[in-house]
Amino acid sequence: MFELSAEGKEFVKSELKRYETIESAIIPSLYRVQKENDGWVSDEAIAHLSQLMNIPEARINEVFHFYTMFNKKPVGKYHVQVCCNVACAMAGTREMTDEFLRHFEAEEGEMTRDKKFTFTRVECLGACDKAPMMQINDDYYEDLTTDSAVKLLKDLK
Amino acid sequence: MEIKLLTEHYQDDQYRTLPGYKAKGGYETLSKAFKMKPEEIVNEVKASGLRGRGGAGFPTGMKWSFLPNNGETRYLLCNADEGEPCTFKDRMMMERAPHQLIEGMIISAFAINSPKSYIYIRGEYVYAAKVVKKAIDEAYEAGFLGKNIMGTGFTHDMDIYLGAGAYICGEETGMISSLEGLKGQPKLKPPFPAVQGYLKKPTIVNNVETLAAVKYIIRDGAAAYKKYGSEKSPGTKLFSVAGDVNKPGNYELPLGYKMIDLINNECGGMKNGKKLKAVIPGGTSAPILNAAEVEKATLDYECLAQMGTMLGSGSIVIMDETRCMVDMLKVISHFYHHESCGQCTPCREGTGWLSKLVNGIFEGKAQLKDIDLLCEVANKMKGKTICALSDAAALPVLGIVPKFRDEFEFYIREGYSKIKGKSHGQMHH
Amino acid sequence: MVKCTINGQPVEVPPGTSIIEAFKMVEQDIAHYCWHPGLSVAGVCRLCMVEIQGNPRLQIACNTAVLEGMVISNQSELVKDAVKWGLDFHLINHPLDCPICDQAGECGLQDQYMKFGRYDSEMGQEKVKKNKVVDLGEKIVLDSERCILCSRCVRFTEEVSKTNELGIFNRGDHSEIGTFDGRPLNNPYAVNTVDICPVGALTSKDFRFRQRVWFLSDKPSICTGCSTGCSVDVYHNKEGLWRVKPRHSEVNGYWMCDHGREIYKSTNVTVTEFVGERDHKKALKKQNRLIEAKFVSKGQSDYRPTVEMLQELKAKIDKTKKLALVLTGQYTVEEYDTLLTYWVSHFCKDSIYHWQNHPEKADEFDGLLIRGDKNPNTQGLKKVLLKHNVTAKKEFSDFSSFDYVIVASPENQWVYDDIHQKALSFNKAQNVVWLSAGLLPEVENMGHNSYFIPVKTFAEKSGTFINFEGREQRFEKVDLFVEQALSLSEMARILDGQPVHLDSVNEVARVQNEFVHLRGQL
Repeated sequence: MFELSAEGKEFVKSELKRYETIESAIIPSLYRVQKENDGWVSDEAIAHLSQLMNIPEARINEVFHFYTMFNKKPVGKYHVQVCCNVACAMAGTREMTDEFLRHFEAEEGEMTRDKKFTFTRVECLGACDKAPMMQINDDYYEDLTTDSAVKLLKDLK
Repeated sequence: MEIKLLTEHYQDDQYRTLPGYKAKGGYETLSKAFKMKPEEIVNEVKASGLRGRGGAGFPTGMKWSFLPNNGETRYLLCNADEGEPCTFKDRMMMERAPHQLIEGMIISAFAINSPKSYIYIRGEYVYAAKVVKKAIDEAYEAGFLGKNIMGTGFTHDMDIYLGAGAYICGEETGMISSLEGLKGQPKLKPPFPAVQGYLKKPTIVNNVETLAAVKYIIRDGAAAYKKYGSEKSPGTKLFSVAGDVNKPGNYELPLGYKMIDLINNECGGMKNGKKLKAVIPGGTSAPILNAAEVEKATLDYECLAQMGTMLGSGSIVIMDETRCMVDMLKVISHFYHHESCGQCTPCREGTGWLSKLVNGIFEGKAQLKDIDLLCEVANKMKGKTICALSDAAALPVLGIVPKFRDEFEFYIREGYSKIKGKSHGQMHH
Repeated sequence: MVKCTINGQPVEVPPGTSIIEAFKMVEQDIAHYCWHPGLSVAGVCRLCMVEIQGNPRLQIACNTAVLEGMVISNQSELVKDAVKWGLDFHLINHPLDCPICDQAGECGLQDQYMKFGRYDSEMGQEKVKKNKVVDLGEKIVLDSERCILCSRCVRFTEEVSKTNELGIFNRGDHSEIGTFDGRPLNNPYAVNTVDICPVGALTSKDFRFRQRVWFLSDKPSICTGCSTGCSVDVYHNKEGLWRVKPRHSEVNGYWMCDHGREIYKSTNVTVTEFVGERDHKKALKKQNRLIEAKFVSKGQSDYRPTVEMLQELKAKIDKTKKLALVLTGQYTVEEYDTLLTYWVSHFCKDSIYHWQNHPEKADEFDGLLIRGDKNPNTQGLKKVLLKHNVTAKKEFSDFSSFDYVIVASPENQWVYDDIHQKALSFNKAQNVVWLSAGLLPEVENMGHNSYFIPVKTFAEKSGTFINFEGREQRFEKVDLFVEQALSLSEMARILDGQPVHLDSVNEVARVQNEFVHLRGQL
């Protein structure tokens, strides 16, 4: 059974009071769960939040499934999100992602066997002047080349 | 020539902090605004001709004047859910000059008599959100936010809200739904947000750049602001340039600036000396311009509308002669299929249909008649839904296909790209 | 009033009326899936497009209020094209499996297709695959591929039942209706979602694969499930009743509860239970004390044995005998009146009993429709008792001093959980006459001193119920299903020696459906 840490529960409680409606606390609380649950949100966690927040599971589940930044299954220690929208695609990120998958023997959207990486193609992240770019966890990495990106990933511990 | 009005101090590392901002005259405009009557501020903004910088270009002062005088709590929401592909100006504005936005927001809130505002920032902009939150805390500390600001009796609270990955939350009613803790699905209009928005209360939603510009309109006066730009599109605007130029980036330009000058001067010309092929002028939902049209285009609402496209969010993607338009449309159609919220049937089903039709070309399953079907489906998606996403998905099809039809026909007939050649035949699925 | 023109016809509507409501008022056709008069406006199917003179853009009728002088049309080519394409967008990912779909015959998609479509789909690509035969709870099955995401069911659970089990998960064309694991759609109003589903996405486990809707007729009636008295439509054919659905009225709006949907089973239980093969039933039958009720569709039934038994009883119950009469609130005002008229002129007023299940819960109310008094006509019974100046006893102490106890037992026996205990109490009398729509196991143990006489259920008679608020509701007979069954009025007249005209079914052979015996058990 997943349960938030004591601080996590406190966080949810304070978010419930922070906005005009308690439902506004759903997104921040899902982020919190994701942080405490190896980067993803399980059904158990939603049931837990429902109880904690006194909001029906279906409402939380709708929000959870609507937003792409909430992960529906476990992700690796480094969630590598490669922008493949227009500017980055022009700069070769699709080929770059293919190279990542080949190099790290990964399947798109699935954790690598060592649980270190999950590679996902995503839509525009708003750093098009620095294409090709990718996001690793919370951070942007810009002006990449395939070689520099692979090296960067290999250097991650 | 770039006009550095909003971006004047963006190179200054300290500008994002309160002391750094105050050193450049920060929050002086707020004092000035507090000496004005709220109606005077609204009138000044109206007189400036400022139009929404988020994409729709709706006159800001007019939007404000739609608020009903019914004594209900009014909310001011800053739309920082910058999601239109190839737009990255709001992120820079928040990361480099958060106080500029906050000052503009307090002035705007005072003008419309709003006690509470939120800055809705797209979830991916973690760093920008941190910078803005820190600046809000500083502003509270300094007494620019909270109760009885600067002894004026005006009270205003401000907070940020982080989205979680949904393009549709950039649509103002989608954003309101999201802020209310729901799926970010747009709401039916009427009622419009100014009448019934956030929590069914009167609500004004303005873009980051719009609210920041308010500060300069009040600081210098509407007349001074109108010196920049054209008659119908006054002021400066930030343009996010990406693609095949030597110096992509954000540029603040007077509206009405020549597109070709932006490419050749500010952006340092085409990369690797290649030939210009096409430009997407206002985010991917804006219909594409071919090279001949780019020569004639000026960066303002009227000219681009006349050319059948739009200024939109001010993002400009430059494409050179090596770009395959079938491939570009595939990327764009995939995006709108991915982002349709799923509420309205024509958009939910149509975006998928468009994407499948384009993919069919790569999979060798398409027939020549599919080109017409593609356009017809796009046409029937237009103007049929709650929000503009359906149109946003249709317009690039209706721009790219007719202008580059030969590339589509070639691909279907030969099974590979006319531009990239055989070797790139069926690469990306 | 606001004046407007709809398809050339001048119309006056109250201020605030939406265009779609105005269309309904003048009975003009307008396509729509997501709009429902009992729910909030979603405006998502985009089918109810209309053209308003002076407005270049088509508007949706459900979210546009009629304004003075509006000239509205949905007959123009522009609108027809929009509806045709709107339908196309609905169909591209729909499985088009009408031949195996339960909704066929009452499907919004099918209706529109016949009107606007009738062409092959232009979508050559693969359809989106979604979940099929999803078990949403005890009563409902979902087929996501048929779902057009109109969101009616989700809005119902949010706004009406306020139970929030349903949601639309994911987005774009991967959106799917669903429940959260461990929170099934089991609220007492859940089957309303099946009624309002405009397509075959939500189907009722109780009804699916049982009958094609075009083989059924529907007749208006009143629900007997509790004292609310919801207006209902009863769907039937010659083989019996198949389902009950709410009919819009002031009493219940657009909805009814799921318990109420079970009432049709009382009619069919009669059949299956009375023809059982238990030994003691055979014994009773030998003594001529059990009327074997048979379904009329079996062809050979007739009411004469019932009449004969009543006449036999008539001879036995003269004024020298000590008699008790037990009434429940499950019969019509007319039946009570005829029976009591007979009774008070022949027998003692003091031994009339009013048997009510859980009288202490009678005033309970769930805030929507369900009431604690599980009888449709408690108020009617009280009124008739008063008319005949009878004070009915509510205490059931000892019946051993009675020669005969005549029990007008409850039609919906399953809500009388004290039926076994009461049966034992009645059994102490010399003889018990059960007027009953069916046998339940508890009652079967009653033994040698019992008579069983089948009575008509609500579907087999006309009459009046008075609901909790004193509203008199007249309803008409749906059809005759068990020929041996009589109403209390008919029985009273026979006992009184009056001439009685009884319904009879003349047709000998009727279509037999193999599922009929399974009704109420599946």
